[in-house]
Amino acid sequence: MSAVANAAAAKRSGPDAVTIGGWALLAVVGVVLLIAPAIFDSYWVSQILTQALWLGIAAVSLTFLNRYGGMVSLAQVAIYGVAGFAMANVVHTLNSEGGLNLGWTPWLGVAFGIGVAVLVGLLFGAIASRSYGIYFLMITLALSLFVFYFFGQVTQLSGFGGVRSVSRPGLVGDTITHPTPLYYVCLGCSVAVYALLRYVVRTPFGVALQGVRDDPERMRSLGYNVPLHRTLAFTLGAFVAAIAGILSVWFDTQISPGSIDITQTIAVLIIAVIGGLSRLEGAWLGAIAYAVINYYARQHTPTLGLWLNPGRFATIIGIVFLLIVLLSPDGLIGIGGKIRRAIGRRYGGGGARPAESEEAGAGEQAEVPAAAGTPASGTRGGLNQRRA
Amino acid sequence: MAVAAERTETAEPILRLRGVGRRFGGLQAVDGVDLEIRPGERRALLGPNGAGKTTLFNLIAGEFPPTAGTIELFGEDVTETPARLRARLGMARTYQQSRVFVGLSVEDNIYLSVLGVQTGHVFPLRSAKRDAPLRAKARAAAAEVGLGGRLDSLVGELSHGERRQLAIGMARAAEPRLMMLDEPAAGLSRGERQILTELLLALPSDVTLLLIEHDMDVALRVAQWVTMMHDGRVVAEGTPAEIRANQTVHDLYLGSRYYDE
Repeated sequence: MSAVANAAAAKRSGPDAVTIGGWALLAVVGVVLLIAPAIFDSYWVSQILTQALWLGIAAVSLTFLNRYGGMVSLAQVAIYGVAGFAMANVVHTLNSEGGLNLGWTPWLGVAFGIGVAVLVGLLFGAIASRSYGIYFLMITLALSLFVFYFFGQVTQLSGFGGVRSVSRPGLVGDTITHPTPLYYVCLGCSVAVYALLRYVVRTPFGVALQGVRDDPERMRSLGYNVPLHRTLAFTLGAFVAAIAGILSVWFDTQISPGSIDITQTIAVLIIAVIGGLSRLEGAWLGAIAYAVINYYARQHTPTLGLWLNPGRFATIIGIVFLLIVLLSPDGLIGIGGKIRRAIGRRYGGGGARPAESEEAGAGEQAEVPAAAGTPASGTRGGLNQRRA
Repeated sequence: MAVAAERTETAEPILRLRGVGRRFGGLQAVDGVDLEIRPGERRALLGPNGAGKTTLFNLIAGEFPPTAGTIELFGEDVTETPARLRARLGMARTYQQSRVFVGLSVEDNIYLSVLGVQTGHVFPLRSAKRDAPLRAKARAAAAEVGLGGRLDSLVGELSHGERRQLAIGMARAAEPRLMMLDEPAAGLSRGERQILTELLLALPSDVTLLLIEHDMDVALRVAQWVTMMHDGRVVAEGTPAEIRANQTVHDLYLGSRYYDE
């Protein structure tokens, strides 16, 4: 995009605008993430941060589709599973542990995995693109279960208990003994995905996608091919999810049908929701929270009689998620907005801290599209009523 | 597009409906409507609530197909043509309730209207260079409807009147040959109605206007020719003066709505 368009985009103070304070925060987070392997122990880097980064990529594909396309997709985990299985089958696996073991080079496997997942995403998108709301959700859930059972039953592709010891490129190396390279790969992919999505939503395609989100019928009467637009957006979401799928296989060193079951589908949905669906950053925020809670809840769940013990750490996770969603319908990102607004109200009155009050404005704006998630259905209902 | 210019010279109708009907279950919403609109014409569609005016609009726009009859737009039979392709032939419309994109800015709303009729708009990575003229067109259309100062405002924050203005700006920005406005004055204040009337009167003469309007002051000032509908049928056609004098029209519509107000 040229400088002119960038300037125009920067000038606009829409709900997606990143304020000066936002850039500063992003810079601080960026520096901390860059030097994370030096300040955190390797377990934290691997089990919390690396996992959060690739889970964040999976979740941001969902956040993107929901925030800009109005599509809540439950097929993202299935699509990353397709990418993971496709790659794991064609590359070399040590000791031939499941899968086709075709012995391709790891990078060729990556390209193949992403390519297959994008094609599957295109197909799934074409199938689901004419459905909206709960029906879209149900269709993507059905597709997700289809993929899960496919890999569960076609053991030629999934082995018995998964495809294990999948070979990785030299760049990533042995993730068990040296987790740092994979951490940086996940960080780089996260930054690239974030930049890509932020760029796309400002292109004509992205603006049109948001129009489709707000009122698909109106877009149709403006001359747009709405199902095609939604299909292409879904395909882009599949591309992003596929990257997460590749990273997940490198992280786990294996992939099995259990890696993409309904629990994982729900987990990615939860990550997107607790992070906050109004901004792309929310996906990674949610993923960090999920990884941290997951880790500590497993360790520190107390034993209270028969109904709670460390084996039931999911209860704790559930309660924490419930609290976050109840306290802030817009997830952790929403809590951040509330705090900034409170600061803005306290200090922004005299105009001494213009940065905060500006952010407060952005925070309030962010709630408008969230509340107006499905305005089209209301309008359509109105039209139908009048017709009758 | 070259075909259209040719037709303008011979004054072939820009829109021709022959025996158009639409049934919703047991309800015959539109019944045997014949309508011819010539290029540059300003036509008002009047009738009490439930007369089938909006249904007729939806049939012309292609929201759903008619159950009887044929529709010709710019000399082409479009009875089976989907709505988005009709829009690209050069037809733009507004809705009774302003259907605008609440999550986008004013400029982006109008920009989408400009972009929709361009070829290749689906391609995700159009260059900004090719995009700049479209943006400029959108800003010009915003200024034309009095929203030049609110380009960056989120549409969700606009007032009802401003949304109506925006809806008309969107219809204008697509540079249609046929513009269809569904009750553009609904819910507007006296002052806003005045501005709207001026805006409609100032439309270029090559734009054909089809207007549904309950506000007689707006409708009869803007329109050169009036079609009166009742119970899904056309019951009278004529100049505004003839319509005012028509006894059937009085009994059906003006008597209860216009003179009592």
